[in-house]
Amino acid sequence: MMVKVAIVDDEEPARKVLREYLSAYDDVEIVSECANGFEAVKAVTDLKPDLLLLDIQMPRLDGFEVLELIGHEVDVIFVTAYDKYALRAFEVHAVDYLLKPFSSDRLREALDHARKRLATKEKLHVEDLAASARPAGAKLERVLIRDGSNVHVIPVSKLDYVEAQDDYVCFRSEGKRYLKQQTLGDVETALDPSQFVRIHRSYILNIDRLARLELYAKDSHAAILRDGTRLPVSRSGYARLNAVLQ
Amino acid sequence: MHPILTGRGRILVYLAVWAPIAALLTIVLARGGAMAWWEAAVIAFPMCLLYAFVCMASWYLCRAIPLRETEILRLAGTHATAAVLCSGIWLVIGQALALLLDATSDFEGIDERYLSQLPILFLSGILLFLLAVSFNYLLIMLEASRRSETRALELQVQAREAELRALRAQIDPHFLFNSLNSISARVMADPAAARRMCLLLAEFLRGCLKMGSEESIPLIEELKLAEHYLEIEKVRLGSRLTVQREVDPECENCPVPPLIVQPLVENAVLHGVAPLLDGGTIRIEARRNGAFLNIVLENPFEPEGARKNGTGVGLKNVKMRLANLFEGKARLDVEQTEARFRVELQLPCGRS
Repeated sequence: MMVKVAIVDDEEPARKVLREYLSAYDDVEIVSECANGFEAVKAVTDLKPDLLLLDIQMPRLDGFEVLELIGHEVDVIFVTAYDKYALRAFEVHAVDYLLKPFSSDRLREALDHARKRLATKEKLHVEDLAASARPAGAKLERVLIRDGSNVHVIPVSKLDYVEAQDDYVCFRSEGKRYLKQQTLGDVETALDPSQFVRIHRSYILNIDRLARLELYAKDSHAAILRDGTRLPVSRSGYARLNAVLQ
Repeated sequence: MHPILTGRGRILVYLAVWAPIAALLTIVLARGGAMAWWEAAVIAFPMCLLYAFVCMASWYLCRAIPLRETEILRLAGTHATAAVLCSGIWLVIGQALALLLDATSDFEGIDERYLSQLPILFLSGILLFLLAVSFNYLLIMLEASRRSETRALELQVQAREAELRALRAQIDPHFLFNSLNSISARVMADPAAARRMCLLLAEFLRGCLKMGSEESIPLIEELKLAEHYLEIEKVRLGSRLTVQREVDPECENCPVPPLIVQPLVENAVLHGVAPLLDGGTIRIEARRNGAFLNIVLENPFEPEGARKNGTGVGLKNVKMRLANLFEGKARLDVEQTEARFRVELQLPCGRS
């Protein structure tokens, strides 16, 4: 069986080592070499590789973030000079973890693992990956949204509110909407609770955007945002909002 | 030896303190003992001179039974006994003096008048002795506190030195791993380049080790080290890293503490250029400004990237070293605009 591999590393010499080692295999085809995470997402979308050899410390999008975006479509072997990410790599179900510099024998081992996993066609839940790609206890600092082969990076400070829409959540930022397949509950736990409040079953609000609250029926309120948007506030949402605003 | 005996000035001051005591004793003897003023003085002054030294001897007693570690009863008992004994001996010697004087025609009957004052003299002897004891304890305590103060200072200096040694020896292991990986990449395809990189790495490591043992080095040496480092990183980062240098030849020989610029260069690469998708240029500038040397490092950075990389530690270390070495005569200014990071280092630079 032919294995289609994409190499992702921002350093040319690092890509070179992998290219050289992989050239010894007849059943491995390098379909793409990517110098950053954005290229990796594009390559995975367009070329559908089976395996990603993925560096961790890269500009803008690090290896874990790339994995969060595309990890459910492709198996990943991390390749890095840092051993401190090994535990996290294991948690996000990486096939293997190569420490630079490594030998061709070590790469062979990693490829054997990958082949075994490819043969069983074991697939992972994207939700698991999204949650575990963050270091334990760390709050989300930016939202990554994949739009085909493009990636949008939205810092959480630029989020206005998040809305649940069927199986998706819709992130609103600077007048634009971004859809992502995730549950609002997951988004809520990932965001900083002193900044983002679940004001309603279907809404999470960035409290910096709140202009005022209006009573619009007995027991129920509406949040008026700075740009004039009205969002419903449930009774329990009103209590949570008050707790944070105090 | 008693600390008072360590200098002539101290002995004189000590005796000067005893002079009013002798005067007081003269008054007591003259009034109570119906002596003439000069008679009383002739007895009182030699006796006080003698007793000044007797009291000083209580120093050894105080040292033998330290205030803190000794039971209060034993303390009081010992000193009271010593006071009674010393005062007694003192009176006997005084008596002998009075007898000697009695034998001369000018001081007839002085012995009797002296004897009439024995109780008050005895009491003063005891009080003076106890006063000296408390004075000695005060001295001992002062000395102890001064000693512990110097020890604390010594320890502080030692800790600081150890910290500096550790700082100098600090070479980021990931820099080594990444460089070895870059070498590994070249071994087959371009052995000459691989060898060149080995040599660069060796130069850099040797430079770091050598500088760790020096107090100060010419600026040019420090910049050469940074150059080696940047050459190695250029192999790794490729066209993403460019360097621009403006070094005034006049300041090449200014002495600088070793490895004071290097951490700033590392910061500029690791937290500035490397996280940028398209890389950028690091600008290094050094110029002479009167008695000062100014070094400026400027680099672009990813405003969003600041979230995960702390540049604080390296800068803090450099700042601390400057504060320790130059005591406020050196500065490190950090300026951060939207996408540019600028540090300016100002050190005193003596004529060299």
